[in-house]
Amino acid sequence: MQLVGAELLESREILPGQWLQAYHAPSLVTGSRAGQFVHVRTGDLSGLILRRPFSINTADGATGTITIHFRTVGRGTEWLTHLRPGDTIDMLGPLGRPFEVDAQSRHLLLIAGGLGMAGIRALADEAIRDGRQVTLLFGAASARDVYPTSLLPDEIEYVVATDDGSVGHRGFVTELVPEYEAWADQAFACGPEPMLRTLARLSVGRRGRLGVARLGRKRGGGRADPAGSPAARRKAFLQVSMEQRMGCAVGACLGCVVMTTSGTPQRVCREGPVFASEEIDWEGGWAR
Amino acid sequence: MKAKRRVVTASGAGAPVRRRPTVRKVKSAIVPAPPKPAVPKAPASVAARPQPAAPSPEPAERDAAPTSVDLTVDIGRGLVLPNPILVASGTFGYGVEYGDIVDVNRLGGICCKGTTLRPRIGNPTPRVTETPGGMLNSIGLQNPGVGAVIERYADTWAGWRVPVIVNVAGESVGDYVEVVRRLDGVPGIAGIELNISCPNIGRGGLQFAIDADAAASVTAAVRRATDLPLLVKLSPNVADVRPIARAIADAGADALTAVNTLSGIAVGPTRERPLLGNIYGGLSGPAIKPVALRIVYEVSQVVDVPVIAIGGVTELADVLDFLAVGAVAVQVGTAIFADPTLPVRLADELASVCRTRGLASYRPLIGTALPRRASAPSSKGVEYRP
Repeated sequence: MQLVGAELLESREILPGQWLQAYHAPSLVTGSRAGQFVHVRTGDLSGLILRRPFSINTADGATGTITIHFRTVGRGTEWLTHLRPGDTIDMLGPLGRPFEVDAQSRHLLLIAGGLGMAGIRALADEAIRDGRQVTLLFGAASARDVYPTSLLPDEIEYVVATDDGSVGHRGFVTELVPEYEAWADQAFACGPEPMLRTLARLSVGRRGRLGVARLGRKRGGGRADPAGSPAARRKAFLQVSMEQRMGCAVGACLGCVVMTTSGTPQRVCREGPVFASEEIDWEGGWAR
Repeated sequence: MKAKRRVVTASGAGAPVRRRPTVRKVKSAIVPAPPKPAVPKAPASVAARPQPAAPSPEPAERDAAPTSVDLTVDIGRGLVLPNPILVASGTFGYGVEYGDIVDVNRLGGICCKGTTLRPRIGNPTPRVTETPGGMLNSIGLQNPGVGAVIERYADTWAGWRVPVIVNVAGESVGDYVEVVRRLDGVPGIAGIELNISCPNIGRGGLQFAIDADAAASVTAAVRRATDLPLLVKLSPNVADVRPIARAIADAGADALTAVNTLSGIAVGPTRERPLLGNIYGGLSGPAIKPVALRIVYEVSQVVDVPVIAIGGVTELADVLDFLAVGAVAVQVGTAIFADPTLPVRLADELASVCRTRGLASYRPLIGTALPRRASAPSSKGVEYRP
């Protein structure tokens, strides 16, 4: 975790109301992994008191560049769009825990809903670099919101679903998942919570359906890794990147928690934002 | 400086005595400045009178300006803060979260996250939202319970120079007393800040802060349970804070912290329900600074114990404002989220302002905006009554 001044290199509106910005922040890029995020200060303290968290959309170690992808939803993101190349912003990161890919996973299924692309995009780069095969399922409201192919690596299979059917599959992106269930060794998702909840439900009982339960795999024997540990997450079929309103982003304020099946709320900024889907209490069990 | 339990044991006999309990003695809020041979008469004479609006020092004085400024604050009962800039409870976790970003040993003190007897899972989400010039939070005192807090953090705190003040919350007097009993004597714990004003939990909490008798009874009960320096955090959500502040000081608090968050709500984007999961939240940030200033102004005139101000500090001018209305120290809270290094920088800037004005200590900056007192303040209630 570092606090640096990051210089804006390039800023453009890639989709209506959605921006992609590249910043020069070499010390943040070093050691950052897919799934982590940065916490950005927007403006001065007279107006906006909280920083804004953004997933690291891509990180290029060679040039020391990170990109963030966001939608203009309020004054903070609006402020960012008015920056000019050469302007420097205050960036804290890399924060949170990354996606954990099992060394034996050859086929990765990535599922993004809308702006969830920002949270999953970097994993495609990492997976390809490590020689894995990637299928990216993407869901959006309509064709005008579909993430441009030109911004994705050539090596991946990119499948689109739109709510209105204007491009690709007509319906939710989650409807595409069963087709890839057998192909995928692991799945990683980022998007609206209903999407993640559906994916979590779909992933239950997968091993039983596929008849692969523990056969041909040495792992799974021995003592269980504690829930939430990197080792336990690495064995999970589905990992999800969660979103929550955030305060400090370092684990101090406990603003950004999600309820987990252990009954203890976990911090999205610290234990997350990536969780194994079975860690999350999808019913949101706050009732005591 | 760390507080240490006043228990004489065989093993403890060899350990250095780091805190001398000061009972039956009225403490001044500020330690007397240690003699500084390098500093001639100028600072003392300035200190004697109320400070006129920042006179620029004469060239001769500038030459004589002190190179080191005394920023220490004596809160009482042996708790001496290295400087008057603390970090507020709930905004700095347990002091470890910011890692290398903040050098904790340069802070004046750390008030840790609110701690209760049993673990609490806190309130449903969303728990935080930004508001104009501030934010609302309704964490609901999520914490692992006092036992886990001691087990996980006390050793780390004991290794720090910065005093760690544990913020204690509860639903009943018994809860408060039991938490404080467990904290008493644990190395690494320099003091207690009683949170009797959390607006975010259903029972307890706030109700102690809005009634003078209830506030006094919980303060007195905790006072009996520990020798640790005791701060009590006031709520702004009352009609008149002065009788409550007096009652708490009379009941044995060593210092008052003013103020906790203001109760408020926000409406969700679809306007179908309030935004926060708990509906109610506590407002903090620059938006509440005028309210906090007013309360510090009122309280510091009616109590003799030190008042530590909190509410919307984002720059040195805010610190100076709070000092001017009688605070001896300030806590920085919400602004840390935007600027984690702010508290350390404020301490440096305060020292630098003192140097510029030729002051050997920041004491002359305290209370300059308060009305003159006709008589010496009463010392009633400052004594320790076991």
